[in-house]
Amino acid sequence: MPTTRRTFLTQGAAGLSFVSLGGSMPGLFARVAEASVDSDANDHVLVVLELAGGNDGLNTVVPFEDPLYYKNRKRLSLPKDEVQKLTNLVGLHPMMGPLAGLFKEGELAIVQGVGYPKPDRSHFRSMEIWHTASVESLAPSTGWIGRCLDSVETSGDQAPRAMALTSSTPQALVAEHQVFPVVAQLDTFNPEEDARLESGQIRRRLMTGPEASGSLGFLRRQSNAVYKMADQLKLATERYKTGMEYPESALGAQLKRAAQIIAGRMGIRVLFASQDGYDTHANQLESHARLLGELASGLAAFRKDLTAQGLADQVVVMVFSEFGRRVDENASLGTDHGAASNLFLLGRKVKGGLVGKYPSLGELGEGDLIYNTDFRSVYATLLDQWLGCPSEKTLGQKFPTLGLVQS
Amino acid sequence: MKSAWLAPWSPTASDPLDARKAAHLLRRAGFGASPIEVDRALKDGLEATVERLFDEADDESKEFARTFESIAGTLVDFSDIGELRGWWAYRMVKTRVPLREKLALMWHGHFATSVDKVENSELMHRQIETLRRLAWGNFRDLVRAIARDPAMIVYLDGESNTKAHPNENFGRELMELFTCGIGHYSEDDVKSAARAFTGWHREGVEFVFKADEHDDSRKRFLGKTGKFDGGDIIDILMQHPETPRRIATKMLRFFAHPDPSPEVIEEATALFVRTRLDVKWFLRDLFQSQYFFSKDCYRSRISSPAEYVIGTVRTLGVRWAGTQVAEQLSNSGQALFAPPNVKGWDGETRWINSNSLASRASTASQLAFFEDDGPWSANYDLGALVDSSISEPSEVVDRLTQILFQGDLSDSTRKDLAELAVTPSSGSSPQGFREDPTIRSGQTRRLIHLLLTMPEYQAC
Repeated sequence: MPTTRRTFLTQGAAGLSFVSLGGSMPGLFARVAEASVDSDANDHVLVVLELAGGNDGLNTVVPFEDPLYYKNRKRLSLPKDEVQKLTNLVGLHPMMGPLAGLFKEGELAIVQGVGYPKPDRSHFRSMEIWHTASVESLAPSTGWIGRCLDSVETSGDQAPRAMALTSSTPQALVAEHQVFPVVAQLDTFNPEEDARLESGQIRRRLMTGPEASGSLGFLRRQSNAVYKMADQLKLATERYKTGMEYPESALGAQLKRAAQIIAGRMGIRVLFASQDGYDTHANQLESHARLLGELASGLAAFRKDLTAQGLADQVVVMVFSEFGRRVDENASLGTDHGAASNLFLLGRKVKGGLVGKYPSLGELGEGDLIYNTDFRSVYATLLDQWLGCPSEKTLGQKFPTLGLVQS
Repeated sequence: MKSAWLAPWSPTASDPLDARKAAHLLRRAGFGASPIEVDRALKDGLEATVERLFDEADDESKEFARTFESIAGTLVDFSDIGELRGWWAYRMVKTRVPLREKLALMWHGHFATSVDKVENSELMHRQIETLRRLAWGNFRDLVRAIARDPAMIVYLDGESNTKAHPNENFGRELMELFTCGIGHYSEDDVKSAARAFTGWHREGVEFVFKADEHDDSRKRFLGKTGKFDGGDIIDILMQHPETPRRIATKMLRFFAHPDPSPEVIEEATALFVRTRLDVKWFLRDLFQSQYFFSKDCYRSRISSPAEYVIGTVRTLGVRWAGTQVAEQLSNSGQALFAPPNVKGWDGETRWINSNSLASRASTASQLAFFEDDGPWSANYDLGALVDSSISEPSEVVDRLTQILFQGDLSDSTRKDLAELAVTPSSGSSPQGFREDPTIRSGQTRRLIHLLLTMPEYQAC
């Protein structure tokens, strides 16, 4: 097929080296290798990474030539010569070297002033807004990813299209017609016995049982589904063979798991991860540096892993936070809840660069940065152009899309 | 002749109150059903057992209440949500009157309020105490109390509801969720209700009526006109025919059957109206009705995380720290004081998905296998459940099935369980099981784990 051949040729060295190993791999991997050169919406994966607590966007993407930055942050501003410069006006936090590298390669897009009208400075409420993609006072119970995937045709045997790598289900993944699993919990569900042994068979029989009606029937079907899912996950992670070193952090573990699941070719479309700790009300410099360092090295390892597995073209990572923080530093060497912040998109298929305007530090809204890109435009772009989900239906209205991904 | 579903059921020699029916009553009116509780119910009979559900006057209960309050005063920090959760979970486990806690849990889901938004554990504490106190009282009193509850005022933006800028959140939910339900009022009624509740604010942990924020003008509400304030709105809503129907249906679903027929709903509504919205009277009749003890209702529901975790803890006599129990509830999808949204917990089939089943399996694992005697571990007396002299695998299975299911498991299932108890791959054998107490106790724990994880056990 022409498309296949063209994508095959444009994949570059990484793609070639993966396919050239096809002869020496077991049949399963060879099939997988063939599948990897078919690039269409069916293979696209979105990894949503939430920075929980309200990331200080101003010290993440730094307007190092703006005198107001230094004036408002006499103690928290980052030294100009340490900033990882992206352009002659903005740069990244000193600990984000790997991401500055990605920016130079055109694989990082930064939406500079993202937010929504009437910003809410409550963690609970603002997270709810980002997760449900709704600013209505009565938020829907479903999440934007849940609604998107509800509209996707899925056969009964299909593995779930989304999974959470966190310890509980994020609201973004709540759907009307299906429940997306939390991977950590699936691990605990793995049967203690090998299904090949007779005892494993008996156990399986007890857990799934014959068809029944009413509540019992429902319970047995659910139990059966969980077993199958746990099996699929186990099989998928057994296929993943890489020596990639991930940083030793909760985020590193989640991203490694993400790579395992994507490599397992289960038809997954969305993975949700979270890095906690960004609510830096006091003594921000040290903790923020640590967090961003973890973030940058984790994402770098993830990208390297995907590249090694020939999956780099299929994955886009979106990094967001529920709000930014105030321009002024507070009396505890930290910052308080703010409004507009920035959002990152990473991936080989991302159209790298700066998107939107850097919010003005001189014209503030109640002391906070004012957004110029509605986050739902980012969602709409990813829904329409990357995931193949109708954005207007998922978001309840039409939002202008941005040139963020190559098709 | 028209059969009356809620007519009283009289146990007879041919249709007695047996262990399964007794356990059904105890599970539904409380959490789980231990062998001791079942035996007592059989001894005392149906009527006395139902009376005892509401009885807090006996010495055991009074002693428990005293001890419990003294612990609360000294050891529990109610400003910490983790400790508040642990405290209530502990109470649910230990109480002699589980119906009060079960009803409080039902009302907590009905008048849903979440600490995630309220961000004040002390307010949540006071709210649950109000719900506990009025749990089986008159529904009107519950609504009146919740309208003045500081946590609810915070949750539904009562403090923003002023004469100059009415906020419709509480007024709307009062009708949509708490009383008559959607479709029985107009948007204008919502606006009127909002205005009637203006000035119903809070200061710290107390309700306060701010007269200068209150709109005392004439309002039109559900066809009536007057200078209504919040109390008047509630009175009018109590007269709305849909209110008793919705609440009666809710209680039917919570206690009897997940999907009651229209005929049963009609009878239950009529009953609730006859009681003038008295919850205790309604439940006393429901718990002694033919419907409640019919095949339709028996094991028809899916246990909530609270019923699963706390029911199991009570049935097996597990000693487990309240905070640990509360954490199991959170992991299984029922974080106390944090219902997912204003609609509370959807319940039934919504309790069951890959995550929650995996969580239940994890709870079962911690419960069944924990040998560690540390203060946070689950601990129970295996010998008290299954006497160590019982050495036949099938007899051990029978004993466990009696405790957890009152014997209600198929022969083929029991056979499978007995076979699993002697499989070599798990370090057992028929001889090892019979002769080695260590192997036997290990396998018994394994059987408990299996039984707690089986689909049958998730039904209530």
